[in-house]
Amino acid sequence: MAPASSIPAAQPLPGDGEADGNGEPISEGEALARLRQCADQSHQYYAAWWLGRNRSRHPEAVPLLITALQQRRPRDPLAGVEENAVARNAARALGKLGDPAAIPELLAALDDEDDGLREAAARSLGELAAIDAVAVLLRRLASGPAGAGATRPDSPRLQEPCEAMLEALGAIGIAEPGVLALIEPFTAHERPLIRSAACRALLQLSGEARWADPLVQLLDHPQLQVRRAALMDLGAVGWRPALEAICRTLAENSLKLIALRGLVEQGEHHDASIQAEAVLSAMDSLL
Amino acid sequence: MDPIGERIQAVRQAASAQTMLAATCELAASDHGDSVNGEAIACLVEVLGFNNPGAAVAAVDGLIRLGPMAVEPILDSLDPRNYGARAWAVRALAGIGDVRGLDLLEEALASDVGPSVRRAAACGLGSLQLAPLQPLQRAAVRQRALLALLGGCRDGEWVVRYAVSVGLESLGLRLEPQPLEQQQLLAALAALGDPELEDTVVVRLRARLAHQRLLPLVPAAETDAAARGEVQP
Repeated sequence: MAPASSIPAAQPLPGDGEADGNGEPISEGEALARLRQCADQSHQYYAAWWLGRNRSRHPEAVPLLITALQQRRPRDPLAGVEENAVARNAARALGKLGDPAAIPELLAALDDEDDGLREAAARSLGELAAIDAVAVLLRRLASGPAGAGATRPDSPRLQEPCEAMLEALGAIGIAEPGVLALIEPFTAHERPLIRSAACRALLQLSGEARWADPLVQLLDHPQLQVRRAALMDLGAVGWRPALEAICRTLAENSLKLIALRGLVEQGEHHDASIQAEAVLSAMDSLL
Repeated sequence: MDPIGERIQAVRQAASAQTMLAATCELAASDHGDSVNGEAIACLVEVLGFNNPGAAVAAVDGLIRLGPMAVEPILDSLDPRNYGARAWAVRALAGIGDVRGLDLLEEALASDVGPSVRRAAACGLGSLQLAPLQPLQRAAVRQRALLALLGGCRDGEWVVRYAVSVGLESLGLRLEPQPLEQQQLLAALAALGDPELEDTVVVRLRARLAHQRLLPLVPAAETDAAARGEVQP
């Protein structure tokens, strides 16, 4: 059972929402038909999400999602469910379906003026481990924390979706000195979530323990949102030396379990002294 | 007023989420000695319905410490309209392991919308207290728990299938299992450990670990087939 140190969120718990959030159950054929039509964009929006969520293997899924991604147009904040919302969901789904045929269109989306779409495209290119994306990501982040990482005058968002872009660089895995040098200044960004993403990427690329220390420290951050991000980042790297610190973190057991799954599945690259069985035992006690 | 009475009052009068959390922790950690205060149980059960997750975790821990005598008050409090309270009640009953919670745990694993509730139910089904039961009832409870866990092997969420592996292991480790049940249990774990059938690496690893731990307990005649995962349920 949950130890007293954990703080589950109010229902629905993180991870609970999407799990059964398919809404009305629809078939794969229905999802494809909804994405194919253009009259009702809310149908397309849902269909794009559905195909990614259910890891569709239908031969039409990827071409239809690429078409949906191409539907984007300059943002119109006054429109309701606009094309870009469909495009963003299509970009997310393309990352989950794992087909490299989506890479060229996702690369083009990295230069779209909609930063929400750039964010979705960056995450998906990371999931697809798209080496071709590295150059574009480096270009978009080249102005560093003071440029790409600066807060916009008109919104709390940053100029670039730095968190997603940094994480994508870590996931793609090109550990060249130029990549590391570009990421490093973001470890001093004023926002803890950006620091966490930068450390995660550097730890993935270099395997150097010095990038793990700030992540472990963020597990004690006063904001739950930051602690959650650090949990996910340590899990994504699979940093087994953080096992104890993860178990002690004040956060939902659901998230700690996801992080520990990462330690089991990704962790063999880093520290053989902590066996997978020790991590499994820690997971058992969080159920 | 006695110290526990004061702690109950502190929970009921808490004006903020933070003071509620602190007061619930105090009450949950109370040492009841020989006579448990029924009001204390009632108060902890009330906290499950307050939409204060931190306090609910503390209340669940307190109810688990109180054990079987908390079961009836928890079951009596179930309110189909308060999903959050119900989810916490499942967690408390899973931790207590009293067979009176069996109906609720079965239902939760089969159909609760929250994976975190289904995963607690799976664990709880594996660790029901069977020893105090009469042999016939024990066999019936064990079989129902096994059936519920076998159904949980098909859950769409990896964390629930992980918890089902853990539940199957603890069920299998306890009390004179029947050969047929043991075979079904090992076959289910073999399937959860099979890369052709299970996508999630960590679920496969946990299921194989459970399989390894249970195999020495199986009578020799079953061992060969079960080791190869060939036993069909």
